[in-house]
Amino acid sequence: MAIFLQLLFTGLGIGAIYALVALGFVLLIRAASVVNFAQGQFAMVGAYILVVGVNVLELPYLLSMAIAVVLMAVFGIVFAATTYWPLRHRGGLPVIISTIGASIFLENIVLFLYGPSPEVLPGLFDSPGIQIGEVFMDSQYLSILVAATLLVVLQYLIFEKTLLGKKLQATSQDKEMASLLGIPVAFMILFTFAYSAMLGGIAGMLVAPVLFVSVGMGGLIALKAFAANIIGGYGSIPGAILGGLSLGVAETLGASYISVPYKDAFAFAMLLMFLMVRPQGLFGEKISEKA
Amino acid sequence: MSLLEITNLTARYASAAGDVLKGINVSVEEGEIVTLLGANGAGKSTTLRSISGLVPFTSGTITLNGQSLLGQGVEAIARLGVSHVPEGRRVFPGLTVTENIMLGASNRKGVSRAEMMREVDEKFDLVPDLIRLKDALGWTLSGGQLQMVAVARGLMAKPRVLLLDEPSLGLAPLIVQQVFKIVAEIRKRGTTVLLVEQNANVALSVADRGYVLETGRVLVSGKPKDLWNDPQVRAAYLGGHAIA
Repeated sequence: MAIFLQLLFTGLGIGAIYALVALGFVLLIRAASVVNFAQGQFAMVGAYILVVGVNVLELPYLLSMAIAVVLMAVFGIVFAATTYWPLRHRGGLPVIISTIGASIFLENIVLFLYGPSPEVLPGLFDSPGIQIGEVFMDSQYLSILVAATLLVVLQYLIFEKTLLGKKLQATSQDKEMASLLGIPVAFMILFTFAYSAMLGGIAGMLVAPVLFVSVGMGGLIALKAFAANIIGGYGSIPGAILGGLSLGVAETLGASYISVPYKDAFAFAMLLMFLMVRPQGLFGEKISEKA
Repeated sequence: MSLLEITNLTARYASAAGDVLKGINVSVEEGEIVTLLGANGAGKSTTLRSISGLVPFTSGTITLNGQSLLGQGVEAIARLGVSHVPEGRRVFPGLTVTENIMLGASNRKGVSRAEMMREVDEKFDLVPDLIRLKDALGWTLSGGQLQMVAVARGLMAKPRVLLLDEPSLGLAPLIVQQVFKIVAEIRKRGTTVLLVEQNANVALSVADRGYVLETGRVLVSGKPKDLWNDPQVRAAYLGGHAIA
């Protein structure tokens, strides 16, 4: 039982990362009908900005994170202006291809600037963690869970309790009607890109001390976050959160109880299982109508 | 000078070969209800979509209170006081009735939330049926309820002119009566309305003047009584051509 609880904690921690990236995915799908294949690279860029702040400029950790979050928001707007905006009237596929292109470009630009060797980033706290009962809570996993919870609460407050949130929802539900009401649709979409890039960047910064910071770190995270979207229900916000968490737990339990080398396979086996048995996901609409 | 003046308007959709509107002239005075009538494809909705900026027009002019709407974006036109309640109601399905109506004020700057809520309550006075539905989500509403939400939302813009597109479409006769009672009440409270309808009977019962459109042109215009007695109009409504 102790081991199970320990694994559950770790699984939720890694699942929270998938959930954050998946949330970024979902918000863009809803606001701009964009499936952003560079969402994982957002995490990578965020992690590298933190590396520069902490390791190179030797700024305080939290200050570096704050700067990185702001830079990620700016990055999200630049990304939207270059990757999405010129193609926005051309339908879904050109934008998807454009985001794939952007993901390759981002990886190579970081490779050019930083080289292929992975970077090591210290954790947010010096203390290794705390023991609660039989479960040892690693401080970095704990930070991930706390930060993810705060972000989900923040997002709920923005989307459900503010007028801006209602305008964002209106934009995602019917852009033309939103525009007829005088809602600045372009601003709403740019805001969503900025927010989505921030979420991706924060996920990258949080996971960086657990993994190595490397050029390729985003790809696998994005694939699993995308799987989390399908499992949770394509385009569903609670689905992204629950899908991410369950994926993290499934792969951690699978790796420990069955086989470590097949860790990644468990995540995708779960995806395949959902696609066969419940393709609309946990909270979903029918995928065939959207994709 | 009329409040809304449409002169020699031609417009076409990007996908279509020919013009949908072929030189429309329509004017709306302050405080009037003016109706555009005609069969499917006559260009009624396209005229409204040109006014609100959804369809860029190829030639002619549209002015609101003397100011040209040419080249203005959809959102800018909304801010100038054009409120378009489009065909199909387009109520946001995932938002509540109150939230939908509240967002109608998005074209006005500096309206506080408290002020907005007070105005929403005023709309509930106008459409009392909506009070018990104020927390219901858009997708749960019936056609008639959706239409009333759409109209209430359109009024939140405090429009100079309210564009109403086919408010009776798909509604039972009794509900149509209710909707048009609200339209008449709106005019009484001083809002100018440009109404597009296929249901000529009910439209002419509330309108001050009407225009009958046929294949992108104004066939005839005048007071409701004159229009109703016009043989050309009757012919147009029977689907045939005007008797020369």
